[in-house]
Amino acid sequence: MLRYVIRRLIQMVFLFLAFLTVTWFLLYILPGDAVALKYAGNPNIPPEAREVALQRLGLDKPVLIQFRDYMVNFFQGDLGVSFNQYPRPVTEIIGERLPRTLVLFLAALVTYYWAGFLAGKYLAWRRGSRGEMLITVSGVGLYSLFLPFFALMMIWLFSVQLDLLPISKFLDPEKWRDAPFMANEVFMRLFWVTLTAAIAMFAASFAALRTNNRRLERTLRWGGIALAALWFLFYWFGTPSGQDMRVYAGDIGYHMVLPVLVLTLINFGGVMLLTRSSMLETLREDYILTARAKGLPEGVVRDRHAARTALLPVVTSLVLAVATVIDGGVITEAVFSWPGMGEILISSVISEDIPLAVGAFSFIGIMALIGHFVVDVLYGVLDPRIRVTEHG
Amino acid sequence: MTAPKLPLEESGGRAPLLEVDGLVMRYDTEAGEVSAVENVSFALARGEAMGLVGESGCGKTSVALSLLRLAPENARYQSGSVRWEGVNLLDLSDQQMREYRWAEISMVFQGAMNAWNPVYRVGAQIREAMDQHFDPPLGSSETEQRIDQLFQLVGLDPAVQRRYPHELSGGMRQRAVIAMALSCDPKLIIADEPTTALDVIVQAQILEELKEIQQDLGLSILYISHDMAVIAQVTDTIGVMYAGKMVEFGSTQEVFHRPSHPYSFLLLSSIPSVTGPRRRPMSLEGTPPNLLAPPSGCRFHPRCPWATEQCRQEEPPMMPIGPSQWAACWNAEQVPQMGEPAP
Repeated sequence: MLRYVIRRLIQMVFLFLAFLTVTWFLLYILPGDAVALKYAGNPNIPPEAREVALQRLGLDKPVLIQFRDYMVNFFQGDLGVSFNQYPRPVTEIIGERLPRTLVLFLAALVTYYWAGFLAGKYLAWRRGSRGEMLITVSGVGLYSLFLPFFALMMIWLFSVQLDLLPISKFLDPEKWRDAPFMANEVFMRLFWVTLTAAIAMFAASFAALRTNNRRLERTLRWGGIALAALWFLFYWFGTPSGQDMRVYAGDIGYHMVLPVLVLTLINFGGVMLLTRSSMLETLREDYILTARAKGLPEGVVRDRHAARTALLPVVTSLVLAVATVIDGGVITEAVFSWPGMGEILISSVISEDIPLAVGAFSFIGIMALIGHFVVDVLYGVLDPRIRVTEHG
Repeated sequence: MTAPKLPLEESGGRAPLLEVDGLVMRYDTEAGEVSAVENVSFALARGEAMGLVGESGCGKTSVALSLLRLAPENARYQSGSVRWEGVNLLDLSDQQMREYRWAEISMVFQGAMNAWNPVYRVGAQIREAMDQHFDPPLGSSETEQRIDQLFQLVGLDPAVQRRYPHELSGGMRQRAVIAMALSCDPKLIIADEPTTALDVIVQAQILEELKEIQQDLGLSILYISHDMAVIAQVTDTIGVMYAGKMVEFGSTQEVFHRPSHPYSFLLLSSIPSVTGPRRRPMSLEGTPPNLLAPPSGCRFHPRCPWATEQCRQEEPPMMPIGPSQWAACWNAEQVPQMGEPAP
């Protein structure tokens, strides 16, 4: 297993190099350049000034030299400065935007996978019932909606008509006027607290999957949830730094409700249908009959035998979804005026801000690679049939 | 028509463990009602091995699943009973039924390949059944010990329990399935095509072992197979099913010696005998009837070379043929002497 992990890590480095190279050249071969675009509106700029600008950005050098410089700097942790927000370093811009996107889309991803899996499990189990009909139709209906339209309708309903939720942005400037924190500090804190809580919950439910003792399994599963919830509450209410930040974290959370809700409603249908078909397949298997014949209660047959095996393709689809955590939110971020990675992806490509664009894309690449890697390892853990052996 | 009541004293005076009486089960399908089990009766005594034979789709697996109440959801029990030590299993609540499963009646499924959940270790899947049924629960070392013993009993290395199903060969998997079936000390094991997917040598070994285990532990076994030869080796009594009906029932010896229903007769004559007199195997023409619209009269009449007008009109009841043999055929007396029908 260790050898497999190391081999995969080395593979990932090469894959990433290839990804970076292709991305860099694709952006480079876009017609025009950042300076030309910037000064397109002003024909009176003397050519000398243009030359100076090009020189300053390093765009006057031959393409291969530019590429070499970029790569050398990249691996020293220097992603260059943004052409457009000159002279802000790319790392600083991404450092500001990435947590906002991660928090929002990870929250949405977890919610809709969880909801989709539970709904799919229910559908397969209650096949032919009226509830199944209702959930399938609404799930598929929502899944086929056009996201911007649906998001705007939801904003209209919840923010304008009912006045329950904020219209857009990720914080309320009024509240933050005298805030002792930067919004990003709060974002990072939110991210880490939620991540540690999620890891605790995941680890416990994973341990629950591995045990055979049913009482211990239940204890672990519920204990994991309780532990995560306790840690979450303890951090925000029990620690001094948590207490100070609570109001602001709460404000961000409040602003996240609507986008997460919209993303969940639109996306859970896909996960649900996948889970449903996968679960229907496992329900036909002989081992389900064996499990019933053993006199196991229906809940155990459903969760430990059918849903557990049906989980595999759902986990695979999660791989593809992990990459969308950064890039798939372009439209969502635009609709909700959520200043995250999606926004800089668009603006940097349009303005040919190559360092910023390559920097943003490289993070998508890294996320996709890490996502694939994690899921591959997880898959081996979940399915012993494809577990890698030392000689395999 | 009332179900034929079979006298059971022939089984050596042993108390009946299981009595299936006039069982009628139909499947609701979109095309209509499928008459899968039609008025089937038989009894099984403690320590006895019985075989149910017939072509696929004849209802033998439906009967077997009914004993555990595991038939698919669209199954409807119209009448009849499945009595287990006097208790009608069809009347129990789901909760009560679960307590009978595996602890009283366990099952070795058709195609042991798929009887194992691929994501759990073999030992864990056995432990799961034991955790469910032992009361008071066994400690983990006792459980471990018991599984070791079971594995030895079926001729497997106890270390196999820590492997995953896909790491075992077909024969090992089938042996482990038998170990699992024995894990909760059941009184009856239903063995549904226990050796079909295995090669002939492993098949013979496993049948031999099952027979030994059955005799050592005083178990009852209900074998379900399409293979008369397999059934003959290991059973005391045999029931032949055709198109959802039991057409012949009796001691294995008598049925083999003197098959009294044309269907069993033709099934048996298709097995070539090595030691007996040479005879030309006779073939069984045609295909089993569509159970959405079963034939009138005797369900076998469209394929029976000796069918008469009476067979087409009237349904033959189970009639005693010998001391412990019954057959549902109007011409049962003549069947053993039947040769090829006149062209």
